[in-house]
Amino acid sequence: MKKICFFITTATVVFLSLLPFFWFVSTSLKTELEVTAIPPILIPAGSLAFYRSSIERYDLLHFLKNSLIVAGSTTFLTVSLALLAGYALARLRIRWRGLIMGGLLAVSMFPQISISGPVWKILQAWGWLNTYQGLILPYVTLTLPLGVWIIAAFFQELPADLEDAAKIDGCGHFQTLFRIILPLAVPGVFTAAILIFIYAWNEFFFALLIMTQKGYQTLPVGIALFQGQYTLPWGEIAAASTIATLPLVFLVALFQKRIVRGLSAGAVKG
Amino acid sequence: MLFSQLRSGMKKNSAILRNSFAMTVFSLLLLFIFLGGCKEKKPASGTALTFITWRPNQPEVWEEVYEIFERENPDITIVREVGPHSSTAFHDLLVQKLKNKSKVVDVFFMDVIWPSEFAAAGWAAPLSPYFSTAEKKDFLAGAILANTYKGEVFGVPLFIDNGMLYYRKDLLEKYRLKPPVTWDELVWQAEKIVAMETSTGEDIAGYSGQFKQYEGLVCNMLEFILGNGGQVIDPQTGKSALGQRPAVEAVQYVRDRIIGKIAPPGVLTYQEPESLDVFIQGKAVFHRNWPYAWEIANNPAKSRIAGKVGIAKLPHLQGGESHATLGGWQLGIGNYSEHKEAAWRLVSFLTSARIQKMFALKSGKAPTRGALYHDADVMRANPHFASLAEVFTTAYPRPRSPLYPAISNVLQRYFSEVISRHDSPVYEKALAANGEIDRLLALANQ
Amino acid sequence: MRKLTLLERERIFACSLISPCFLFVAVFAFYPIIYSFYLSLHRIIIGLPGLGEKFIWFQNYYELFHDPVARHALGNTLIFVFSSTFCELVFGLIIALVINRHFRGRGLVRAAVLIPWAIPTVIASQMWRFIFNDKYGLVNFVLFGNNVGEYQAWLADPFFAFLAVVVADVWKTSSFAALLILAGMQTIPEELYEAAQIDGANAWRRFTGITLPLIRPALLIALLFRTMDAFRVFDLVYVMTQGGPADSTNVLQYYGYKKMFAEGLMGYGSTLSMLAFLITLIIAMFYLGIIGKGLIRAGVQNETMRGKPGR
Repeated sequence: MKKICFFITTATVVFLSLLPFFWFVSTSLKTELEVTAIPPILIPAGSLAFYRSSIERYDLLHFLKNSLIVAGSTTFLTVSLALLAGYALARLRIRWRGLIMGGLLAVSMFPQISISGPVWKILQAWGWLNTYQGLILPYVTLTLPLGVWIIAAFFQELPADLEDAAKIDGCGHFQTLFRIILPLAVPGVFTAAILIFIYAWNEFFFALLIMTQKGYQTLPVGIALFQGQYTLPWGEIAAASTIATLPLVFLVALFQKRIVRGLSAGAVKG
Repeated sequence: MLFSQLRSGMKKNSAILRNSFAMTVFSLLLLFIFLGGCKEKKPASGTALTFITWRPNQPEVWEEVYEIFERENPDITIVREVGPHSSTAFHDLLVQKLKNKSKVVDVFFMDVIWPSEFAAAGWAAPLSPYFSTAEKKDFLAGAILANTYKGEVFGVPLFIDNGMLYYRKDLLEKYRLKPPVTWDELVWQAEKIVAMETSTGEDIAGYSGQFKQYEGLVCNMLEFILGNGGQVIDPQTGKSALGQRPAVEAVQYVRDRIIGKIAPPGVLTYQEPESLDVFIQGKAVFHRNWPYAWEIANNPAKSRIAGKVGIAKLPHLQGGESHATLGGWQLGIGNYSEHKEAAWRLVSFLTSARIQKMFALKSGKAPTRGALYHDADVMRANPHFASLAEVFTTAYPRPRSPLYPAISNVLQRYFSEVISRHDSPVYEKALAANGEIDRLLALANQ
Repeated sequence: MRKLTLLERERIFACSLISPCFLFVAVFAFYPIIYSFYLSLHRIIIGLPGLGEKFIWFQNYYELFHDPVARHALGNTLIFVFSSTFCELVFGLIIALVINRHFRGRGLVRAAVLIPWAIPTVIASQMWRFIFNDKYGLVNFVLFGNNVGEYQAWLADPFFAFLAVVVADVWKTSSFAALLILAGMQTIPEELYEAAQIDGANAWRRFTGITLPLIRPALLIALLFRTMDAFRVFDLVYVMTQGGPADSTNVLQYYGYKKMFAEGLMGYGSTLSMLAFLITLIIAMFYLGIIGKGLIRAGVQNETMRGKPGR
């Protein structure tokens, strides 16, 4: 009885999660006339025209490349910085720890519309509009709070006497950090990395403002701009969305064990 | 003994400080090294003109045009920046650049409602040094008027748009009806056709238009108000006229006879694409849209009713005249651009008779030069242009004010609120909207 | 020069680790928000540069309190935050419970559940707009089949349009909440459940007695982050409804965006965003009051455990 209950719940959860997405995938395989058929058609004709069109006419792979570069760099940079700061905040003795953590958290509360204007102005002054770094830097700032909090929380679970054991062995501060702590941090790093990557991958508002040249636009902006002046190419949007989501699905499927393990900070309890 | 202690102490301290310092510098270096980021290289010779545009419906035609221009002007390269599709989002992007006095905006598209705003703010360059009076006469008067602010012209019209009535020619013929001239006629015809068709099992609605809370709503509603002899801004007093009887009546008419009656309630969520989809799937008898819809509705690959479409002037309410809202796109030159001469060359190229004819033939875009409406090739490819030419003389621009975006938001809010609830107090809301609009107009007149 | 104490060395080391972070945040976050506050004290109309940028003290804020549209937007935002966060926590909890168990195909289920979260918000919004369409939308088809006459115009009705936005948001972010809650669940030792089972507690009793209390910190963190995000909802409204119909889905950030970027009223728009920020801050401080102590207490524990001579 319990097993059936569980099975039904699981099936429902999976079904609801995937249904809208499958509907979109099905749309991407229809012909132009079928897409807006009234009433809707469930089984598509199986046409790949929209995929061809979105790649050839709409330069989809190009946006994919840009997204990979921006999201990848952001993840790398944020994780590096968050590792350092998270370690310091979690395990070293500093005054004002609460203030710093709180300050970082406050950053996640800033409305995008407030900070976008001045950020845009700064980037314009530095000539960094329509460059990769112009988008990566604000993204790093926006993802730092989450990264630091996750990694700090993870570090906190490690045994308290690690540093002392290292010191007894004669390690300096940096050696302790790199040789002992870092390898243990890998699971936490994975979690933070995937969260940050997905955030940077999905972000739309800043990307729209900062990247106005097609050469640098990321996927969300690129796909949003599929629309012409009066046309809404549902088919191409559906095809592009399918392709856009695949790398993430792949990543998540591959690393899901690690991600979850990273979240279970208690796994390292002595 | 003391000295050596000191020395070792200093060494330890400086080691810490040195390491910490190195750490910080290292992380910052990481930043800069990692961000290789290539900047867009400027062409080695000649001028690079930045052209801010939206994504066109037929990019191939535009590619051809760019190619021709760069061939005939080898010293100029066009750098395209593609903005969002929606007029409002495109506007926001443009404003963001221009209010920061960006030098990298050379040529840009302006919706028909922006020239006043861009002129008052000093973003669009005045064009009289380049655009002679004789040349202006070649263009449609209404379009030139929309680009004029305080006597000076700030844009050159490239495409002109008008609200048109599309209808199912086959259905009207089947029931031996002529295209309606008044809205009452249209409502009667729609009800009759829908009743007859649904009794045979067909599923069809009477009318499909754009009534979502966005700029298009203002266009649709304005056509009803003007068609009843009303106004949004009284030309005599310069104040808002929404509370006057013709305007109030027109809005009530839409709420009571159109939305949810001959038009499905879903029209409150439609912009152009959705409303057109309903029509070309064969689910509406009448449809209001811009001229671009003609090509799509008659394309068998995209439409189930290809070849069964008719186009006509919009109907009016009893005692009024047919007026369509003027739409269209103009080309402006950035006031902070450092290449105004080259920019003008691009502008005059794109608006030349030759290129406008190309757009008319290959992408069905309505030209802004009067002479092209007598051109045999153009008329053959777009027979509906014959009705368009007549409509253009009665097309009416939306209120021209530097604060039009704010005024439009008030109008959108008012219209959307009033037509989506059947018991809405139209007169009260109209007066409230009046107050807000008058306040904005007063601001602009300071 | 005296030798630096262990503590002082540690402090300098820590500072050097945090300074890169601090640099980023100072330049790209704190400076802009302060500048934004500065702007909210001025009257700035982009379209009328001739009027200049007058310093008007708190007049914008006064105007804000008397703006019915702003009040409506605030109400909408609050309702959205509470309803979507509540639903996300409930669904997140269910999902976390499901993927916490060991069973064959767990990896696939996990991947499936994470897909909504992996899709960019603007794409998901387009998808939902397509699904709620009144003529060719999936919702209508599922509810009414081929009976086109019964199809409802969901996004045309103020109430249902709001509901649609909430549904889209819950679908999109429940899995994020699930991940955070899962983290908390994984720290609960199996022995506790086994002991409870031996004592005769049934599944529900085990859930309310062991799981819920022990995942409280994780729940609260999920609540915190989701609340802060929900207050700043923008992408969904921008794509699905653009604030309509009749402003029923007008939220604070979207209204601020319209004022700032569309109407060019920079001063007033900044005021609106300040309001959103302040409210988020108050709520966050409230939550932190509950969970923050735990985090800081753990940190203090660390210190006392390592407190050695040499301070």
